[in-house]
Amino acid sequence: MCKNDCSWNLTADRLLQPVLLFLLRLKPSHGYELIQRLAQLDLLEGEADPATVYRNLRRMEQEELVISSWEATGTGPARRRYAVTPKGDELLDAWMVAVRRQKEKLEKFIQLYENHLDWEKARGGENLLPEG
Amino acid sequence: MSRAPFRILHAGALRRPMGECVQVFKERYPDLPVELESAGSRECAARICDGGIYDVVALADTAVFARWLAPDYVDCYFVFATDQIVVAFDRFSRGSEDITRDNWIDVLLSPGVIYGRSNHNLDPCGYRTLMVWQLAEKFYGRPGLYEALQDGCSRIYPKSIDLAGALVEGRVDYAFLYSSVVRQLGLCQVNLPSRINLSSPALADYYATASVTLEGRKPGEKVLLTGAPIEFAVAVPRNARYPVEAQWFVEFITGVGGQQILEDCGLIPC
Repeated sequence: MCKNDCSWNLTADRLLQPVLLFLLRLKPSHGYELIQRLAQLDLLEGEADPATVYRNLRRMEQEELVISSWEATGTGPARRRYAVTPKGDELLDAWMVAVRRQKEKLEKFIQLYENHLDWEKARGGENLLPEG
Repeated sequence: MSRAPFRILHAGALRRPMGECVQVFKERYPDLPVELESAGSRECAARICDGGIYDVVALADTAVFARWLAPDYVDCYFVFATDQIVVAFDRFSRGSEDITRDNWIDVLLSPGVIYGRSNHNLDPCGYRTLMVWQLAEKFYGRPGLYEALQDGCSRIYPKSIDLAGALVEGRVDYAFLYSSVVRQLGLCQVNLPSRINLSSPALADYYATASVTLEGRKPGEKVLLTGAPIEFAVAVPRNARYPVEAQWFVEFITGVGGQQILEDCGLIPC
């Protein structure tokens, strides 16, 4: 077992805004519904904290990546409904280029790691890499 | 002749943020006297149904609007904040040095420990507390826990802000309150798991497995209320004396300036 923190996640903070923009590109929604859709996607490590989601939506609106308007649902409550802006669309596309580039680098690293393991096995020596 | 006051009726838990929003309102409308009145949200709704004239009403549960006020008394109500239920305490509370998210039930049920809640028939924090206890029984796999927590709860106050006062004054050791109220009063809190604290829309279906029977609007009437994520909402009643000014107030509290006040008060603007 590694003594240090060996966990490696694409943290909620790093992925949340691109995922929110993507969900809003698919369909304009209010925060309540976005939190439900985020949970169904199971893309983020851990639960989507409602406070974090709402704070990010407000920040994204200040940065003009999304716009909001009130949506009333029959006799139910009116909620703030968000939609992605052209600027938000553009940023999402740019983010995806960066994510793909990172994915390629990670795949390259995984390949190097596995090649090294194969080499160790072929030598018949002990695996010097930590378990877990 | 003096002008009739601009009247705001709000849930007790919103006392601090409403007070701060009123300061901004007074800068916008310096000649208009303002009256703030607070009660448990169900009691607030009853006052409106009984003919009370208010310009703004802000409640701790959208269900109170849906069941009591819309569409007869308000046309539309706006969700503006959310929160979570926590176990509040201070450093003088019995067992406070040992209480954690994992042992809070055992601490509360220990001999000599006094804990309280607000009245479920008057205040959403009260019926939400009962829902939290039901969900805790299921979450922790402890059959009979709901009944044990009910039996052990010796102090029930009309609204959550009264309960908070009882905690500050040492009349109870622990209180089930909104996290925002705890923060505003500088108290300590045990955060409960999201599956029981009524904070997350992602768990709405799970929360709905809890339910509480409440007194209805008519004498002898009973209504069943199911669990749901916590949402605070605000509206302009149909009989508002100052509808234009009231609309300005609602736009402020749901806008950037109001959201900052809400966040500073520990609420989650949404």
